[in-house]
Amino acid sequence: MFNIFNLQKNYGTIEVLKNITMRIDDGEVVTIIGPSGSGKSTFLRCLNLLEVATAGRIFYNGTLLDQELDSKRLRREVGMVFQKFNLFPMFTVLKNVMYAPMHVNKLPRREAETLAYELLAKVGLTDRAGMYPSQLSGGQQQRVAIARALAMQPKMLLFDEPTSALDPELVGEVLQVMKKLRQDGMTMAIVTHEMGFAKDVSDHVVFMDKGYVVEEGQPQQIFNQPKEERTQQFLNRILLGV
Amino acid sequence: MNTTLASLHFAQAAEYLVPSLVHGAGLVLQTTLAGFFLATLAGVLIAVGRLFAWRPFRVMLYGFLEIIRGTPLLVQLVYIYYVVPLLLNLLAGMFGYKTDVQISPMAAGIAGLAINYGCYMSEVIRGGILSIDRGQTEASLCLGFGRFETLVRIILPQAFKSIVPALGNYLVMMIKDTSLLAYVAVNELLLRTQTFASQTFFTIEAYTYLALAYLILSVPLSHCVKLVEYKLSNSERQ
Ligand SMILES: Nc1ncnc2c1ncn2[C@@H]1O[C@H](COP(=O)(O)OP(=O)(O)OP(=O)(O)O)[C@@H](O)[C@H]1O
Ligand SMILES: [Mg+2]
Repeated sequence: MFNIFNLQKNYGTIEVLKNITMRIDDGEVVTIIGPSGSGKSTFLRCLNLLEVATAGRIFYNGTLLDQELDSKRLRREVGMVFQKFNLFPMFTVLKNVMYAPMHVNKLPRREAETLAYELLAKVGLTDRAGMYPSQLSGGQQQRVAIARALAMQPKMLLFDEPTSALDPELVGEVLQVMKKLRQDGMTMAIVTHEMGFAKDVSDHVVFMDKGYVVEEGQPQQIFNQPKEERTQQFLNRILLGV
Repeated sequence: MNTTLASLHFAQAAEYLVPSLVHGAGLVLQTTLAGFFLATLAGVLIAVGRLFAWRPFRVMLYGFLEIIRGTPLLVQLVYIYYVVPLLLNLLAGMFGYKTDVQISPMAAGIAGLAINYGCYMSEVIRGGILSIDRGQTEASLCLGFGRFETLVRIILPQAFKSIVPALGNYLVMMIKDTSLLAYVAVNELLLRTQTFASQTFFTIEAYTYLALAYLILSVPLSHCVKLVEYKLSNSERQ
């Protein structure tokens, strides 16, 4: 799906991403872990062109991405879920979900509504369709945000710390939905601090630090026998609190 | 002449002046409606231009804003009404055409109000746009909307919701500022009153009625604005 070569991103003189080369295959779930400020968000945002890379090349299904030319088309196929949900506060839950299908994909209202209800059922929120985002809990809002992204029928979803803004007891319901997506075969790139979840769902784990991909591999290998010292330190800090 | 309370003729003055003021009030409302609509449009365009346009264009807009905010509305009105047609004729003359462009008082008045208020309102609108979380723009872009669609569908509605009270105050101010249009020969309330007073010498009566007319126009309007503000802040809480 994505083939990334020597991706580099600078903000002024700060190098945030350094020479990242990575592949994300169709149907694969990749989780990206690493300390704060290591460039995880920036990396995800380069994939859907929210950020313009300073150097390097990104191929999406074989085509080289080129900022203005492809961004709209690309974003219809690669959805994104944010840490802060970013639901549209002036719309009801239903309208949040059906808005893009109606106005971007020009789906007739009736069909968009049917689709929205299907997706709300999938995330377990059919009964909240008429409410406004501000009336929902964080976990519910994030599930709506996932439904909203799914409504564009994307080929891939990017998640940037989807559970980091949630109270601990609400994390589970969101992860549950994401596990369901995995079973449906959705391609996903997930930035997360939920190590148990990452170990569970990923085909592939990437550990980033200071703009580098320090280590990547299968979850068993990364979590049980990390090769790199820095990976080990990071996991110890997160898992054992040392 | 010695004026005593007994020598005031409110009833007599009302007989002619009140119907005239009612006519004038219609004109004032029309002017305000048109002026405010165009000012809002101008405000949005200036705000969006100053935020997102090509840099040299942004600088030009800022210069224009400084000119408008640095001169009184009355001077702008007079300039549009008397000077702009002359300039246009001069310009046409330079290209060998002989023209006699004129601007109607109403058009000049509405244009002046729209430009002047547009500039002030653009600052409020710009603030409104900036107050919306960047995440809203990103979410919209990520759903496949373009930048322009995002602005129109997602950002502006939210920005406007938060600045309705401020814009409402401009509306009430504008209705009162239409009195300046008397100086460009718009037959609004002040001009009618002046004419009447100078013909009848019912000075006290005439201008008292004028003040009342403005009160009747602006007080209910400002209460409407408050009501809308209240409704909006309530719906915010949901
Ligand atoms: N718009 C920006 N301008 C300048 N520097 C930025 C900008 N965005 C991010 N950075 C810097 O880039 C670095 C990487 O940021 P990024 O958000 O990608 O990290 P992250 O791994 O997602 O961290 P976190 O876990 O805190 O979300 C940080 O040092 C950050 O300060
Ligand atoms: Mg981040």
